[in-house]
Amino acid sequence: MYSSPLNSSALGKTCWFAVALVLIAVQSAEATRPLHERVDAAIGCGDPEFERLAAADAGDAAFIRRVYLDLAGTIPSSDQVRRFLAESAADKRAQLVDQLLESPRYARHMQYVFDTMLMERRPAKYVKADQWQAYLRQSFAENKPWDQFVTEMLTADGADETNRAAARFLLDRELKPDPVTRDLGRIFLGRDLQCAQCHDHPNVDDYLQRHYHGLAAFLNRSYLFTDPKTKQASIGEKAEGVVKFTSVFTSEAAETAPRMLDLPPVEDPPMADEPYKVKPEKKKVRSVPVYSRRLQLASAMTDPSNAAFRRNIVNRLWAMMMGRGIVEPVDMWHAGNPPSHPELLEMLADDFAAHHYDVKYLLRELARTKTYQRSSQYPPGAEIAPDDRFAVALQKPLSPEQLAWSMMQATSLTEATLQDLQAKHRKAHPDDDPQTVEDPVWQEAALHDALKGHVASFVDLFGVTGIQTSQFDASANQALFLRNGKVLQSWLTPQGARLTAKLKALDAPQLVDEFYMAVFSRPPGADEQQQISEFLARAPEGRDAALGQLVWAALSSAEFRFNH
Amino acid sequence: MRRNQGCHPHEHLLARRRLLASTAAGAVGLGVLGTQAQAKQLQRQEKRILQVFLQGGVSQLESWDPKPGTLHGGPFQAIPTSVPGIHISELLPNIAQRMHLLSIVRSINIKINDHEQGRQFMEKGRRVGQYPYVGAVASKYLTPADSELPGYVHVSSRGLRDTAGGAAFLGARHGQLKLEGIQPPGNLAVPEGLDPVADSNRDQLRLQFNQRFVERRSKALTEAYDASFHQATKLMGRKAMFEGEAAERDLDRYGRHDFGRYCLLARTLLENGAACVKVTHHGYDSHAENFNFHLEQLGEFDKPFCMLLDDLKARGMLESTLVVIYSEFGRTPKVNVRYGRDHWGSAWSIALGGCGIQPGAVIGKTNDTGTAVADREVDAGHLFHTYLQAVGVDSTADHDIPGRSIPIGDPSTEAIGELLA
Repeated sequence: MYSSPLNSSALGKTCWFAVALVLIAVQSAEATRPLHERVDAAIGCGDPEFERLAAADAGDAAFIRRVYLDLAGTIPSSDQVRRFLAESAADKRAQLVDQLLESPRYARHMQYVFDTMLMERRPAKYVKADQWQAYLRQSFAENKPWDQFVTEMLTADGADETNRAAARFLLDRELKPDPVTRDLGRIFLGRDLQCAQCHDHPNVDDYLQRHYHGLAAFLNRSYLFTDPKTKQASIGEKAEGVVKFTSVFTSEAAETAPRMLDLPPVEDPPMADEPYKVKPEKKKVRSVPVYSRRLQLASAMTDPSNAAFRRNIVNRLWAMMMGRGIVEPVDMWHAGNPPSHPELLEMLADDFAAHHYDVKYLLRELARTKTYQRSSQYPPGAEIAPDDRFAVALQKPLSPEQLAWSMMQATSLTEATLQDLQAKHRKAHPDDDPQTVEDPVWQEAALHDALKGHVASFVDLFGVTGIQTSQFDASANQALFLRNGKVLQSWLTPQGARLTAKLKALDAPQLVDEFYMAVFSRPPGADEQQQISEFLARAPEGRDAALGQLVWAALSSAEFRFNH
Repeated sequence: MRRNQGCHPHEHLLARRRLLASTAAGAVGLGVLGTQAQAKQLQRQEKRILQVFLQGGVSQLESWDPKPGTLHGGPFQAIPTSVPGIHISELLPNIAQRMHLLSIVRSINIKINDHEQGRQFMEKGRRVGQYPYVGAVASKYLTPADSELPGYVHVSSRGLRDTAGGAAFLGARHGQLKLEGIQPPGNLAVPEGLDPVADSNRDQLRLQFNQRFVERRSKALTEAYDASFHQATKLMGRKAMFEGEAAERDLDRYGRHDFGRYCLLARTLLENGAACVKVTHHGYDSHAENFNFHLEQLGEFDKPFCMLLDDLKARGMLESTLVVIYSEFGRTPKVNVRYGRDHWGSAWSIALGGCGIQPGAVIGKTNDTGTAVADREVDAGHLFHTYLQAVGVDSTADHDIPGRSIPIGDPSTEAIGELLA
């Protein structure tokens, strides 16, 4: 738009200069505008056609449920909902976001999310699951910058306890060239290069054999070393070895040095006279070369010239919050599957890098957008906007962990268990500071230990091993578990501090109100008040017995199953 | 997605003729399937797969590719079969009489000697990567919309904790419904103390909640979720089928041991519309005492399998049911010091027949001592394409997954064309 022909007169020059000044001013104002506002502008806020399709604000109740699930991995308790609805501060949503990001539940939730993303629910092999999970949780608790986090995971050799956990990404893939290369491409670069392994990708023009083998070359000298005495696995590396490849279609052969997609290859330095720090000696010692190709991987990956690295992670965090990637599927970025909002993705990626890969910063900004805070109901009279417009909040299936914790929260199993744990601790440690059991970190850890078995059984049944897709799917086995399984049924027994016991002591309309707040995290509508009162009044088995059925129906409903 | 080349064109013709006749008589829509006999006729045209997995790796020399009197031949004889020229091991006398219903592939080389990797390759048709098993693919593309059963059912005494039921990206509903032997699936009974009226009321209430939730919302996820409850209810309705005692006369024919009962259950499942039933017979990993093991194991396998084959044929289902007998690999020609045979992925056999398969054929061969493939080498990728094309699924097409282009079978291999009917 600034390419209008300018004559060479002094006036023309002055005009051009003025325009340039204004442009600079606009750009710097743009840069100081908070990211969440720029995101909304990029999505289309203000554009009349977009606004016609766009959903209204979700309202406080829908917001608190959504943001609890996304940042703390569980629905809120009925008390938390009530307090939030009663709060009058204008920036209460922003405050809640900050509060959740600082809670121990955030670190736990991100541990689940990134464990699933990085390891795709593989069983633990060479690194203990606990050790790895603690490493993830700690990294998110201290808000470790993503580039540093990835550098740790790709450089750790697992040879000593301090870096064993970080080495799990490579170790538990046994340094096997195919799975490691494919997963590096998919998980850290958003590209599934697998078909480019034997020939250039048949359907995807941009994935080339040299991309795949360039990535593989960083690790082709590394191997899984098992210490003959301790049987402990770690990563050894040789000082030589090249990657050659031949197309099965064209029989063209080529050789490649390590390289990150289309960036220049990372050439090996001239071989030193003594190429090893620790020489290989059959299978007895873990060899360590002077020049390590593997150690070049992390720096090539996180280098600013490798835009795919930052685009991939912002796209994944966007998908976690918004229910769909700007590139979707998140590991299938290529010319035939372009981003729905390329400038937005670029802006997020650059801003994220400029903020030193600060994960909490990005999540905070995303949670503050109008885009995130829209209703999942489209406007009356409008047609449903395509998912990739982000005009209406998308429904997100709860992960197995979110589902387990939310069901335990809704039925008050969490609350009842916490009370027991606190009482037990006070009894066992009478001299301890009474505030110990009020500490959120203590509470989160104690609850997690007490209830992790339930979480594991949900993961068994609802989790998928291997490539995670955003597609929702439900099996008959899962429905039978919810319908007839003993676990959920036992949580509905009216005893102690359980929800059904609480409801038993109440009368309509307080009963219906508490039920909606506890399970659906919102107050009931007038029609719902009536509908539930009728259900209880008509129940042939009597009101009290029907409370279990009431809560079951709500827990098994779509409104509960999805984050919306 | 589905290949339009059916197994039996005459059946389609028949159905079409009947359809035309009924339409001419003025019937429309579903009404044309008025009589039960017609419905059954149509149902029979649906295709399905029966997999019998001989876990541990059955010895090709003691089954489909005997070499008596040779260096590694072992003590058992080869016997003639109902197909002139084809001989199989004397340990499979009942199958020998039915050889005209089956074919053998004797030239498999998967280059894998590891149980887990071999099994994965045989199920997925690919060496690496998270791909769906052939049973999950069958479930996705062969399960009728109104099926009473999940598409993919696995009957086994152990090994049921399989990765996500083999569904990979096809989704949980196409994963294995895992049955521990003839035990009914878990959670089939309404919770204790909940009477049927209350149970139905709570389910009605669940639907009311859903109805309200989908107001001005996209319905797709709710419908998928609801479908799983619907499927669960159908399974609960089939409780009697799972719990039903087998008839005495069937037990007399199939045998009263576990594998006989599994085969009977497989028959029931196939009759009830499952797209793929896998039955696992354990215990072929004969690193020691290979010959005693095979005598015992195949003795248990041969008869019940043949009864199942006969029953499928008698019910007119064999033409629409692909039957596959397979393992994760074969066993070494060389007999070890413990009279065992070890893992051997480089020259072994499977047998298959029924829907879409040319019967009475032998594909490929091994050399005289069985130590290498001598002709028409194939691997699990070829077999995967062959199975699916036999039941009318175009394995060269892409999976029906939005946003991804994933070929159903590995594009670098192809079906064994001469085996397809």
